[in-house]
Amino acid sequence: MAAICVGFATTLSACKPHNDSTAQGASRALPAEGSLSALPLGDLAGTAKLLAVNEVVNPLADNAGAIEEGHRLFIAMNCAGCHGYDAKGNMGPNLTDAYWRYGGTPSAIYNSIYEGRPQGMPAWGRALPAKDIWEIVAYLQTLGGAVAANEYQAGMQGDHGITSTAPQAPGLLNAAAPSPPLQPP
Amino acid sequence: MRAASRLVLLPGSFGVAALLLGLATTPLAAAQNDSAASADFSPHDPPGEWRMQARDFAATRYSPLDQITVDNVKRLRVAWTFSDGVAYGHEGAPLVVGSMMYVVAPFPDVAYALDLSKPGSPIKWTFAPDPAPLAVGKACCDAVIRGWAYARGKLIYNLLDDHTVAVDVQSGKQVWRTKMGNVENGETMTMSPFVVGDKVFVGNSGGELGKIGWLAALDVETGKELWRAYSTGPDELVKIGADFKPYYAWMQGKDLGVTSWPANMWKTGGGAVWGWISFDPQLNLLYYGTSNPSPRVPVQRPGLNFWTSSVFARDPNTGAAKWAYSFTPHDQWDYDGVNENVLLDLRIGGRTRKVLVQFNRNAYAYTIDRETGEVLVAAPFANENWSSGFDMKSGRAIVRPDKEPKPNVKLDDVCPPDIGGKDWQPSAFSPKTGLLYAGIFNICMDVTDHRQSYIAGTPYDGMEITRQAGPGDHWGEFIAWDPATGTKVWSIKEKSMTMSGALATAGDLVFYGTVDGWFRAVNDRTGKVQWSQKLGSGINAAPMTYLGPDGRQYVAIYAGVGGAAMVAKAMPGFPPRGSTLYVFSLDGDSVASGLEMPQ
Repeated sequence: MAAICVGFATTLSACKPHNDSTAQGASRALPAEGSLSALPLGDLAGTAKLLAVNEVVNPLADNAGAIEEGHRLFIAMNCAGCHGYDAKGNMGPNLTDAYWRYGGTPSAIYNSIYEGRPQGMPAWGRALPAKDIWEIVAYLQTLGGAVAANEYQAGMQGDHGITSTAPQAPGLLNAAAPSPPLQPP
Repeated sequence: MRAASRLVLLPGSFGVAALLLGLATTPLAAAQNDSAASADFSPHDPPGEWRMQARDFAATRYSPLDQITVDNVKRLRVAWTFSDGVAYGHEGAPLVVGSMMYVVAPFPDVAYALDLSKPGSPIKWTFAPDPAPLAVGKACCDAVIRGWAYARGKLIYNLLDDHTVAVDVQSGKQVWRTKMGNVENGETMTMSPFVVGDKVFVGNSGGELGKIGWLAALDVETGKELWRAYSTGPDELVKIGADFKPYYAWMQGKDLGVTSWPANMWKTGGGAVWGWISFDPQLNLLYYGTSNPSPRVPVQRPGLNFWTSSVFARDPNTGAAKWAYSFTPHDQWDYDGVNENVLLDLRIGGRTRKVLVQFNRNAYAYTIDRETGEVLVAAPFANENWSSGFDMKSGRAIVRPDKEPKPNVKLDDVCPPDIGGKDWQPSAFSPKTGLLYAGIFNICMDVTDHRQSYIAGTPYDGMEITRQAGPGDHWGEFIAWDPATGTKVWSIKEKSMTMSGALATAGDLVFYGTVDGWFRAVNDRTGKVQWSQKLGSGINAAPMTYLGPDGRQYVAIYAGVGGAAMVAKAMPGFPPRGSTLYVFSLDGDSVASGLEMPQ
């Protein structure tokens, strides 16, 4: 399946086809600084299509040294003080389960660290270089709760661990559904 | 006298009854003591009311109401309930003034006035202060509120986002709101304000985030700050002057709040004031404790770390310190000193001593001369192994070197754990028995320290901890304690944590709750459980009792587990969050109960 990288292909070195979301090791370049700023926190209103930026993989995800460094940073930057040394939550949320208020894909986790979040999560974007944040993300990806980069939509729709899927809506229903482009009022 | 003779009233006369009760401020008749222990129950509020968190300045949580007794308590049933819908820890007790009840929910700290004279106690007004959401993630131990105060027609409480607010109890409108600090840097407020005369005293939370602790006095009418005394730093900031006379030589000296720390570390040294305040009107002294030092990793802060994990006696007018006592100098285990100080008069060594009693987190119960700061009795009330005994001459527990944490080394089986042999959950005192009653812990920890960097607005903590039950495999216990001798008189083992406040009544009962949701009434002399009721969530709050406008005695308790009880959240069967205030009466009777369509 082709990658959906329109508009981002020139800035996102990590933009990859869907079927190739596994990390490629330390040699891969980090996504360009600021490139994830287009990532929305909510689902997209109207008929807008999924942005490719959701599917950025963590270039350090399979790098053992990066994961170890991420773990070290998790303690040294006082992340553990809030989220727990086991990352199972305390002052801050559990980071090992599948419940992600602000998204559990690598890029969403990156943004939560970079931008901070409203209930006390500081914004680390000016305190930590991008590489450090990706290392922390790499460590968190080893804890079992993170959503794969190419499962952004599934994560948003609660499709973790589903065992079957209801039949698709009848074609007639789909055909009848209006899909007007969004217009300013 | 019987303080709570039942009034028989016709419907429609509730307002009049409330007025009469409000005026019936007969001083408390001396209880029929068969013990030498007693307390000053100032300010002698009307017997049926509950106007401050511990009911009196001495922090006894004793009510003279006696309709509900050891004999009839088995008839206790739910009369009505109220849910505020907030899923954080509920730690305070409702206040009752006249025919109104005041409660404040945890974050976002919405206050409610409930009209006790009407069927179902409907809401008279709601006040939503809209504190900053940021505060939730800056509060170390859940977005709790530990209590609220009533004074001069105002409900006064602290917002989690580091503000104190006063609400007019007639209109439910804000009278003033004072910013006490910057929540972005990790300072929050969770403690109950405490009012004496025209001043309200408030303190901060944030000892886990490197915030320097303080107690401040605000003007009740305007919210203007009158003084602020810090817990660390030079004497000027700590309000230590010529009047300051600590009892022990090792606590005497200039600027100990600076010199007992590595350079400048007092500025991020903790000593937060998030617990209880009590007051002796005769001595005109306030008493309160300070939290752990920051960071919690002791190797980073060599020295005695004054005045953290300590108790202060201060002049409420000026803030000047009269004495202080450090329970756990150089506290290595997070043994905050913030627990309630119950002010009693005890016969010790053949003479009556004015004392304060604190069940400290370090598992020692201290009976301290509250005029001088001399330790009269110090004895473990809960399982502990951090000390090898207590040196009465120096007033210090003797630390076991093998229980001192070292960075990056896992140290097994330290008792009690960070949350102590007892946390902030307040005890109660009955003048009828001379005993104190407290929910305590039987927990130990394995701890690994990690060196910390100070990053404003993040934890300055460093203790990686797992906790388990101590000997006997039960996490909780409810005890009766003789503060004159330092001995346990009876105890009830509880498999879950006992982390609720206690209530003692003239009906020879004490009440407490458990983290697995049981609310119990116990014979205050024998420790026999007389009544138990399972509630919808775990109990962290403090029970209280009041006389309704209908003349009935009620007992009220919030069930909403949270706060430090969440350390046990991984235990099988740990209860879900809750937000319900349960109000009990004999047979569940209440205003207009039984009417088909009460209005």
